[in-house]
Amino acid sequence: MILVLFGVSLLVFSIMMIIPPGRRAAIYVKQEKITPQQMEAMIKKYGLDDPAPVQYLRWMKSMLSGNFGYSVTASAPVLDGFKEYFPVTLELVLYATPLIILFGVWLGTIGAVNKDKPIDHATRVFAIIGYSLPTFWLGLILLMIFYGYLGIFPPGVLSNKGKDILFSPSFKRYTYILTIDSILNWRWDMFWDALYHLMLPTINLVLLSSALILRLMRSSMLESLGQDYIRTALAKGADKKTIHNIHARRNALIPVITISGVLFAGLMGGMVITETIFARTGIGLWMARAALQLDLPAIMFNVLFLGTVFVVVNLIVDIVYAYIDPRIRLT
Amino acid sequence: MQRLIETRELYTDFFTFEGVVKALNGVSIVVNQGETYGLVGESGCGKSVSVRSMMRIVQAPGKIVGGKILLFLSKEDREKGIDILKRSEAYMESIRGNDISMIFQEASTSLNPVLSIGYQVGESFLLHRLDEMLSETIDTLKGEIESGVNIFSRLWKSFQIGMFRNELESYLKYKRRVEEIDRRLYELEDSEDSESVSERNHLNRVRDRLSKKSGLVEFVEHFPVLRRYRKKLNKTVRKHIIMLLEELGVPNPHNIVDRYPHELSGGMQQRIVIAIALACHPTLLIADEPTSNLDVTIQAQIVDLIKLLKKTTISSVLFITHDLGLVAEICDRVTVMYAGDACETTSVTELFEKPLHPYTKGLLRAVPKIDSEGELETIPGTVPNLINPPTGCRFHPRCPHAMEICSKEKPPTVEYSAGHSVACFLYSEKKDM
Ligand SMILES: Nc1ncnc2c1ncn2[C@@H]1O[C@H](COP(=O)(O)OP(=O)(O)OP(=O)(O)O)[C@@H](O)[C@H]1O
Ligand code: SF4
Ligand SMILES: [Mg+2]
Repeated sequence: MILVLFGVSLLVFSIMMIIPPGRRAAIYVKQEKITPQQMEAMIKKYGLDDPAPVQYLRWMKSMLSGNFGYSVTASAPVLDGFKEYFPVTLELVLYATPLIILFGVWLGTIGAVNKDKPIDHATRVFAIIGYSLPTFWLGLILLMIFYGYLGIFPPGVLSNKGKDILFSPSFKRYTYILTIDSILNWRWDMFWDALYHLMLPTINLVLLSSALILRLMRSSMLESLGQDYIRTALAKGADKKTIHNIHARRNALIPVITISGVLFAGLMGGMVITETIFARTGIGLWMARAALQLDLPAIMFNVLFLGTVFVVVNLIVDIVYAYIDPRIRLT
Repeated sequence: MQRLIETRELYTDFFTFEGVVKALNGVSIVVNQGETYGLVGESGCGKSVSVRSMMRIVQAPGKIVGGKILLFLSKEDREKGIDILKRSEAYMESIRGNDISMIFQEASTSLNPVLSIGYQVGESFLLHRLDEMLSETIDTLKGEIESGVNIFSRLWKSFQIGMFRNELESYLKYKRRVEEIDRRLYELEDSEDSESVSERNHLNRVRDRLSKKSGLVEFVEHFPVLRRYRKKLNKTVRKHIIMLLEELGVPNPHNIVDRYPHELSGGMQQRIVIAIALACHPTLLIADEPTSNLDVTIQAQIVDLIKLLKKTTISSVLFITHDLGLVAEICDRVTVMYAGDACETTSVTELFEKPLHPYTKGLLRAVPKIDSEGELETIPGTVPNLINPPTGCRFHPRCPHAMEICSKEKPPTVEYSAGHSVACFLYSEKKDM
């Protein structure tokens, strides 16, 4: 696990080292106002042209001591920026992932159980649409219909009223996740406001990402339904509902769990487009801006963070596996 | 002799990509009350498909496309039998595992890998013996209350009793309703006028929709905390499972109940499959090559167990095998199958002493004997592809006695002597035509 993270850090660092020292220094200073000599002095001062391993060790040391640097795009230290941006992304992912999984598993089961009947074809059409539509296109269409024509579900994170509450002195931010904090502060009006803004991006993600789960669930459910143990269950007189829900579903869920973990981690890092379209100030948006402006501390921190998320999610997947599949429990 | 289950001209097809596999070609067999009946034949001749059709559990893409399956279960004057192909799925569910059970070729894949042994065996009790389990649980709880407990557990136990009573009542109501419907359906069994047919269809639909559980229980089951009251029921079931496993010679049943299939040996897995099948003391046990993947000593144990069970608990056994030695050992009557046809049916002694069908003769010659010399004879040729089976008698391309008519018509089954029937033109009047 640590090894994976070490690899990620090396990779990120090497990419950064491709950029010449002068360019790296220039991120923090206005180039026109500085003479080449001053620039040279700065590069010397921060050791920007030291051998790569030396710089890597120096970087690692400050990372490990909790000094992640200053982010230009967030106009704040990286950690403060992260505290501001990350909960916005996390909130959306936390709402969307369970819905995606439930929706996908549900539709996939329906498809498998009614194989080749009209309803199965309907789920197939849904899946093809979900696979093939680009995120930005569906996002824009949703915005156009709901916000543009119907005037509901605006983009953004909060309305102005909600923001007033957020920045009022009596409002305490416990988790930085808006829906949770608003409940903890007993401000239901703000809770609904935040939820209202979450609607469209969640719908967008569910429509697009559940296709994957759906197809996987359908095929693994079909495989499971063709197994010998289903025949045993039939032979003992179990009814359809029991066979589908207990005998087949549990086995069918095993591959779905792996993909769900990957999906969760992927959503964390793959929010750039969704957040841009729905004007949500999450890490996707931040990363996109950071990449454009070569905000290296922000990029490196986020990449390392997402690497950690992947590793942790995989660990959780393994634990859930053991819960569902007794064959794994022993090892 | 009283018949127990009978198939008449049963046809089962598999609708695959390559074409329609005509797996059963009008199979007619009869299993009598109290006998051990054997079904033998080469691999792929349709033995498994026959018995699965008899339980109506042919999995997709298979389908029973013609024929009748008659069941003579109850001892009352049910002369005409029940054609289960005309009955609802719910009716079949009440028969399967309760009156007719099945054990399978491959025990390791027949058990669900993610469910505990206890769950898989216990399910049989919960499906068919729910009333007994519930009353027993209620009695246990009453006893516990009487023996004195504090006020909280008294309240909790009273709640449990209330829930179980409610469940028991709706289950009994369900059973009464089902009996009513089945009686009416039995009366309508042979009527073919449109009115009775539509009434029959209606009753079948009603029976399919009847719910065993009351709304209250269904509702409570959705809440994890309240659902805990069912633990007591599971305890009762567990007691029965352990008793059953003990009966079947499973060592250390208390421990086995909480295990998962992959933790057991092949012989033990087969015993668990037998336990699932025997939980409700069925009238007929169908054993589909239960020993074919076990090593010899375990094989003998399982066969002995089945023989013992035949003596003590079950009335009839339908035993599938391609081991003729085993047939001689345990069966009373045998049917020889070839490529979806039932070729010859007779008693075991007649089978070995006086085989009639050319295929049976070939099969017997292919069995090694103590006094035989030289190479074993084999039947030339291979089992035909059942998508385009040979016309007429399906055995004719390999038959040493094949005649002209054999490739044109399907030979009728004739009673050669009492209790010995054969489907071959050598023995029918059409022979000389
Ligand atoms: N799922 C299926 N799809 C297509 N064809 C099938 C299927 N199951 C069975 N069949 C066909 O039905 C025929 C009979 O198969 P069955 O399993 O009954 O043979 P068997 O006599 O039980 O053989 P074995 O001794 O190997 O168990 C086979 O020829 C096979 O081609
Ligand atoms: S009917 Fe004809 S081909 Fe078939 S077994 Fe009899 S003799 Fe042979
Ligand atoms: Mg078979």
